[in-house]
Amino acid sequence: MGSTITEKILAEVAGKSIVKPGDEIMARPDFVHSYDFPGYTDAFFREMKDEFGLEAPPAPERFALFIDHLYPPQAPKEEDLHIITRDWAGRQGIPLFEHRGIGHQVAAEVGYAVPGRFIVHFDGHISQLGAFGMLALGLRRNVLEAFVREKISIQVPATTKVNLQGRIPRGVLARDIFHSILAQFGPSFCRFQVLEIGGPAVSELSMASRQTICGLAMFTGATTAIVNPDDCTDSALSQIELRLKPRRVQSDADAHYSQQFDLDLDSLEPLVVAPPNPANVHAIHDFEGLEINVGYIGSCASGRLEDLRVAADILKDRKVKQSFQLYIVPTSRLIMQKADDEGILGALIKAGAFITSPSCDYCFGHIGTMTAGQKAISTGTLNVPGRMGSPDSEIYLASPASVAAAAVEGQIVDPRRFL
Amino acid sequence: MTLPDLNGRVAWIFHEDNFDVDQIVGVKNIKLTDIGELAHVAMTSYDPEFAKVVRPGDLIIGGRNFGYGHPHYPPMKVMRHFGIQAVIAESFSPGFWRGEISMGFPLVACPGILEAVERWHQLTVVWQEGLVRNKTTGHELKMEPLSMADYKMLQCGGLIPYLKASLAEGARL
Repeated sequence: MGSTITEKILAEVAGKSIVKPGDEIMARPDFVHSYDFPGYTDAFFREMKDEFGLEAPPAPERFALFIDHLYPPQAPKEEDLHIITRDWAGRQGIPLFEHRGIGHQVAAEVGYAVPGRFIVHFDGHISQLGAFGMLALGLRRNVLEAFVREKISIQVPATTKVNLQGRIPRGVLARDIFHSILAQFGPSFCRFQVLEIGGPAVSELSMASRQTICGLAMFTGATTAIVNPDDCTDSALSQIELRLKPRRVQSDADAHYSQQFDLDLDSLEPLVVAPPNPANVHAIHDFEGLEINVGYIGSCASGRLEDLRVAADILKDRKVKQSFQLYIVPTSRLIMQKADDEGILGALIKAGAFITSPSCDYCFGHIGTMTAGQKAISTGTLNVPGRMGSPDSEIYLASPASVAAAAVEGQIVDPRRFL
Repeated sequence: MTLPDLNGRVAWIFHEDNFDVDQIVGVKNIKLTDIGELAHVAMTSYDPEFAKVVRPGDLIIGGRNFGYGHPHYPPMKVMRHFGIQAVIAESFSPGFWRGEISMGFPLVACPGILEAVERWHQLTVVWQEGLVRNKTTGHELKMEPLSMADYKMLQCGGLIPYLKASLAEGARL
């Protein structure tokens, strides 16, 4: 029997010829990434030293740090945290990326998304690098293990495959595809497993769309998601100077999957995820007419060029409704530059959007904070109460097209009316 | 060395699937850090008397995919303050699982548990036999085995002591 791409990557980094789901292995991450956040990086640096007597992490050339949360700082203690990070990175000679954008996206832009390689982070949204055919695991605080020893203990996960069939209908975006997976198969169908996105229609998906879908994998219970590299991957990678040589691995035709499901793209429609949790998925029609105060296009799960492009298509020659706050936050500086080159930013500004440089902070209400009674439509990652401000505000997750359409009307509407 | 058996009463049962632990203290209180304040608000929407009736060593029972959502630390911090020594659930959400096990807090995945227990039943978790025994009814259920790493993490009392022990023994796996 063959192996999945995940099993092949883990076998390689564990120095074994083959691994199977359930095997407990010691695996050497090719890359270890973190952004700085209180209780994470500052704690890791302290614990390395105080608990393990380590100044530097093992094989520090594998490490990179990102400043994307609490950015720009709004209080002295936030800047203090960034200083700790800069000092530590400087002492270890570890690359630090700041004001470049959201780390998970920047990582891909600067060559850390290398097919066949293994990367760990504490944040589960690193799974979006699975779009490039790499295994990207968010380990929460357990990532400390990678800061104190070169190999980390991993239990090889089983893989569930979702086969995409058909064509993507007009007005249906990557967010709608992910939310459809969640609606059809449930919030735990992939618990402790890897979600492999495949099938004939995977070629329909841009790299940005693959990143969006893979980046949200945790809400299916998955530990990460992955797409086998194809022509689209090769084409994206040809423009990037990679930091390691790719390993050309693919799932075998006879690989074993614990489950396989088909998702028929032709039947999909725009969706919204209503409060109070990421599994509460509905057709957009169920909420049409609901008055909305705030719109947000950004986060590691959106805010890429294709997302900004569709927002501009809708908002061009239209206006954001009076008193509606539309925050548009390109995911990286590079994306922002490209959007400017295409005239996208100009169109959005003219329509009345509030556009800022990249930051994670809108997604968790650190900026653009809502008060009680307000409602947002958002491409952020999560809609639990309090995520974007008051616990008595509400978040409806949707595609960037749906956010842009809502900004025009001040209420939830079907974006297909504008496309 | 095996993990010692856990003996305790069922202090509460969360029947719902995908239970968001933030509900234990309520989202409005999720930013509280003072343990006294947390203890004052915790569980009040489920049982206003909970803080009075809970005893050290008690257990919490959960449904499928327990800990789904975006779990914060205060709810389980206050549960530990009350003396809750473990959560036994049909299954757990991976993020919650990792977060709690890395703090050395026992979680027991035990399919069938919801049907098998009622509030205040006396249970024993027998790690060595992989069993949850309901001492009140005599019923026994199999738990899902822990990975070796998770088992050791519970044995050591959390991530840092586990890593220290593991480094000391040269990480033989």
